Amino acid sequence: MTKKKKSILSDQRFIVLLVVIALTAIFSFMSKEFRQYNTMLSLLDFSYYDLLMAIGVTFPLITGGVDLSIGTGMVCYALIGGTLIRSHGMPVIVAMLVCVLLGVLIGTLNGVLIGVMNLPPFLATLCTCMITRGAGSLCTATPWPGLTQEGGWFHSIFKLTIGTGRSADRYPIGFLWMVILVLLMEFVLNHTKFGRYTIAIGSNKEAAALSGINVKFYHVMVYVVCGLFTGLAAIAYAAVTPTVQPGTGAGLEMDAIGGVFVGGVAATGGYGSVLGTFVGIFVIMLLKTGLPYIGLQANWQQIITGLVLIVAVLIDIIKEKKAAAL
Amino acid sequence: MEKLKQNPIVKKLGLNRILLVGILILMFAVFKVVLGSKFPVGDSIKSTLNYVYFLGFLSLGVTFVIATGGIDFSIGPVMFCCALVSGYCMTSYGVPCAVAMVLCVLIGLCFGTFNGWLVSYMSVPPFIVSMASMNIAKGLASVFTKTQSVSWPLSSDPVNGWFRNIVSVNGFPVGILIFLTVAVICGIVLYRTKPGRYILCLGSNSEAVRLSGVNTRKWRMLAYMICGSLVGIAALFFVATYTTVQPGYGDQYNNEAIAGCVMGGTSMVGGLASIGGTVIGVFIISLLQQGIMAFGLGKGQQMIITGIIVIVAVYADVSARRRKN
Amino acid sequence: MGEVILTMKDIDKSFPGVHALDHVNFEVKRGEVHALMGENGAGKSTLMKVLTGIYQKDSGSIVYKGKETEFHNTREAQDAGVVIVHQELNMVGDLTVAQNIFIGREPKKGFRIDDKKMIEESKKLFQELNIEIDPREKMHNLTVGKQQMCEIAKAISHKAEVIIFDEPSAALTEKEIADLFVIIRDLREKGLGIVYISHRMDEIKVITDRVTVMRDGGYVGTLITKDSTKEDIINMMVGRVIYEDPKQHSMVAPDAPVVLKVEHLNAGKMVQDVSFELRKGEILGFSGLMGAGRTETARALFGADPKQSGKISVMGKDGQLREVTINSPQDAVKYGIGYLSEDRRRYGCVVQKSCIENTTLATMEQFTKGFLIDSAKEKEVTEKYIKELATKTPTADQLVVNLSGGNQQKVVIAKWLTRDSDILIFDEPTRGIDVGAKNEIYKLMNKLAAEGKSIIMISSEMTEVLRMSDRIIIMCEGKVTGNIDISEATQENIMDKATRSID
Repeated sequence: MTKKKKSILSDQRFIVLLVVIALTAIFSFMSKEFRQYNTMLSLLDFSYYDLLMAIGVTFPLITGGVDLSIGTGMVCYALIGGTLIRSHGMPVIVAMLVCVLLGVLIGTLNGVLIGVMNLPPFLATLCTCMITRGAGSLCTATPWPGLTQEGGWFHSIFKLTIGTGRSADRYPIGFLWMVILVLLMEFVLNHTKFGRYTIAIGSNKEAAALSGINVKFYHVMVYVVCGLFTGLAAIAYAAVTPTVQPGTGAGLEMDAIGGVFVGGVAATGGYGSVLGTFVGIFVIMLLKTGLPYIGLQANWQQIITGLVLIVAVLIDIIKEKKAAAL
Repeated sequence: MEKLKQNPIVKKLGLNRILLVGILILMFAVFKVVLGSKFPVGDSIKSTLNYVYFLGFLSLGVTFVIATGGIDFSIGPVMFCCALVSGYCMTSYGVPCAVAMVLCVLIGLCFGTFNGWLVSYMSVPPFIVSMASMNIAKGLASVFTKTQSVSWPLSSDPVNGWFRNIVSVNGFPVGILIFLTVAVICGIVLYRTKPGRYILCLGSNSEAVRLSGVNTRKWRMLAYMICGSLVGIAALFFVATYTTVQPGYGDQYNNEAIAGCVMGGTSMVGGLASIGGTVIGVFIISLLQQGIMAFGLGKGQQMIITGIIVIVAVYADVSARRRKN
Repeated sequence: MGEVILTMKDIDKSFPGVHALDHVNFEVKRGEVHALMGENGAGKSTLMKVLTGIYQKDSGSIVYKGKETEFHNTREAQDAGVVIVHQELNMVGDLTVAQNIFIGREPKKGFRIDDKKMIEESKKLFQELNIEIDPREKMHNLTVGKQQMCEIAKAISHKAEVIIFDEPSAALTEKEIADLFVIIRDLREKGLGIVYISHRMDEIKVITDRVTVMRDGGYVGTLITKDSTKEDIINMMVGRVIYEDPKQHSMVAPDAPVVLKVEHLNAGKMVQDVSFELRKGEILGFSGLMGAGRTETARALFGADPKQSGKISVMGKDGQLREVTINSPQDAVKYGIGYLSEDRRRYGCVVQKSCIENTTLATMEQFTKGFLIDSAKEKEVTEKYIKELATKTPTADQLVVNLSGGNQQKVVIAKWLTRDSDILIFDEPTRGIDVGAKNEIYKLMNKLAAEGKSIIMISSEMTEVLRMSDRIIIMCEGKVTGNIDISEATQENIMDKATRSID
């Protein structure tokens, strides 16, 4: 029995990759500034936190749920981390750990509300979104240490700077970590129990439960993993945001979730891929960074992200309908 | 307790609603006792009412959507978008105030139609539509106003100041009359008209209603359209009390509006909605915001507390339903 | 037949308000196929759920392989070798066949799941069963029959010693059922104990060794299949003979006009080139096995599902038959067609709403005065139908969820009568309805036909078809294979046509 190999052209991820290349080409063609190394560098720099959030939220979306608390959560953890450094003299490594721990904590809360208490995912996370936003706005605006300050080493995780001042060479090594994380999570999704049960929950939760899977545990874990990545995103966010502002972060989740949908996750769950998320997020990032270079206000990106999200989901729904009609 | 439930008056009003009113009065009393002079009765009632106006319309609107078993959490940003775009037309392009007000409601209606069309005709899950239109509303408002805040005319404005009369005339709270009137109309529409009947029934079992030969798509979309228009009206009341709106905000009101609605006994699963409950729920949420502020706490605590309230209210609904089955 | 592998004794189970199992006894031997029979709600599924740990028994004992046992969840039961093949297939559509077979107990290689091993093991299983399925195929790409085979493979892979088949043939084609029986016989040879739940008497006779009958949650008795007749089993199931005399001849006037004409209707695989006519006052039975495409035909005709082609003509109020376009239930209702689904709770009524709201659902415009609903008129009409149809409900305001199946059906009938629909499609009109209420529904249908309504009745119960129909259309695998007058209809010639597809 041999199966016909599917054409690469029918893979949404490949098409999205083409879109990424096309967008890069268009922006580079239209704007001289855009094609400079520093622009590309900062584009990558600002994509890390979005990407980390997106990797995390891919899992809830595959289960047919969603996590709306990632944007405000990320900002909240970064604020608390910053406060620890500035006001309590904690070393940066402690603040980083706290970020991750808080992420896991809120993730667990989301997981319990959704997986154990059966609240609708969007509603439960809308509430934790408000809660983390509120908690964040109780902090004061706090800058994490700058590159040259004590504790500034954490910037090198994402951007390795050799030399000082204008002549310094900067390398986006964060991109390397992202590739590694994406491959790791793609592996986790396809080749581990956690990943397989994530898909099973999204596809047919009752069947999964009747197969003897501890559905509640894995459902909670999905949100814990999402929270963990949000915690990591908080570190990446602190690295690129000179001063994290309290009360912000609402709407940042949209870029991440939009990216995941562009990457081809099914609107009703059951299918998704981390590689897809990886390419999807760059569509959003290119629009966000590129539009001002071709003379459009940055806010256009918000409108376009909204429309892109709907189009991506509509494509999925139409595909489903066609498949069902056959 | 059982005996109390069987009492005809209690039955007519609904035990939940009586309890909610009790909570409302109790909250007020507690605030007064604990805070004393920091919680002046007159001013507190006035500021609570100011909050009730816009939040009430948002809540009434989202009640219709939740009744269909859907959700719309783009209402807060859409409200801001309505106020910003129409206000900007007035202040920068010299559009007359009355026209701007109509425009404001129309923008809300457009968003509602867009959301409803996607949900009912294109089968896009409501939460995705909400996320998308939230972004679009924020982006649109920012682009249109070039990221500037917009201030609607003050009551001292000789030409356009009259529009503030929707809230109060010489200190008399006209707003409450308008709000209650609209609430009564909403109640009539939901319980006593054909569209309302269809909206409630399709929220309960959409497929059975469709197989009865009812155009469920049309009526589902109508629910979102009603919601959109009410959001537009909410925007008017928002600027009539708080004057200035800034682009990029409005998210927190989603939660407060949904909180008011769910607290009042509207079920998230759809099919069961209580306009009366929503009205009382809105009063409770609004009073709570004033109380929190009087305690010297800020927006942060407000959001946290509202978040927790919604979780508790929804969990109560979910577990009550599970017990029934 | 070998030694006894499983004994359930004096099993008792109550739910709030329902005594679901009343001291039930049941045993399975190695190398036997033991049928468990009973009407809907007799307690078969509950008993099996108690056995496999989904429910916990209140009292009684389960002895499995000589030891007193109680499973607390399906996992424990599976591990011990007691496996159930569910009626609704429990498959995760987005995972592959192999992934489904090993779900919950994936072989591991370090952190990762050993997919290669899973695929190989699955291939071995399929070889053993003599089935050809690619373990790498996604589950939702398989036919229902193949999915069922996967379920069986999954059960066997659990090293099962007792396998419970819960109405396995319901969704299978004749060929697939034959394949299934080969597998079951093979398993029996290997010394497994098999429990076979089914309603189909013919299958019971063919495949089983013993039959245990349950009624109303109680144990009735156990028979040796080859020593008993169909009537013996049926009598035990119902407690009294329900075989009422079949209709001898059509009650329709020979010159009755055609009110509905369907020509060359096509809708997917399940509806292929279906043509038939319905005459005024006629009850047209649609017979066939489960999955023959009868419900699909009705839904396509009613506009509930899309169709590819076909011509539908309906008689208008002026008595003229003319072609109509039906693309949605709205259109169908407009032309006077009403549909009563087999699944009332999902498609028939809005159960969380009252009788009034359900009765007037299709006719809202008759009950509006200006903008408002005329509640007094609503109530009056609903109460009229409650009386006319003898619906048992305390008040018209009662929520439908609180009514019994038969009374829910009457509420749905009232809905279409309010609409004054001339053509009514009854899909399994008495499914899930107890015997007494069944008779009432039958009387009602006869009365409606006598009053000039035309009825399409889809039914899987032969007795029902023979008792009610004036003419019978038989379908098999999406095609019409027979159209016979009641005077010529016999159980045998209907069954013959229902199992023979014409190509």
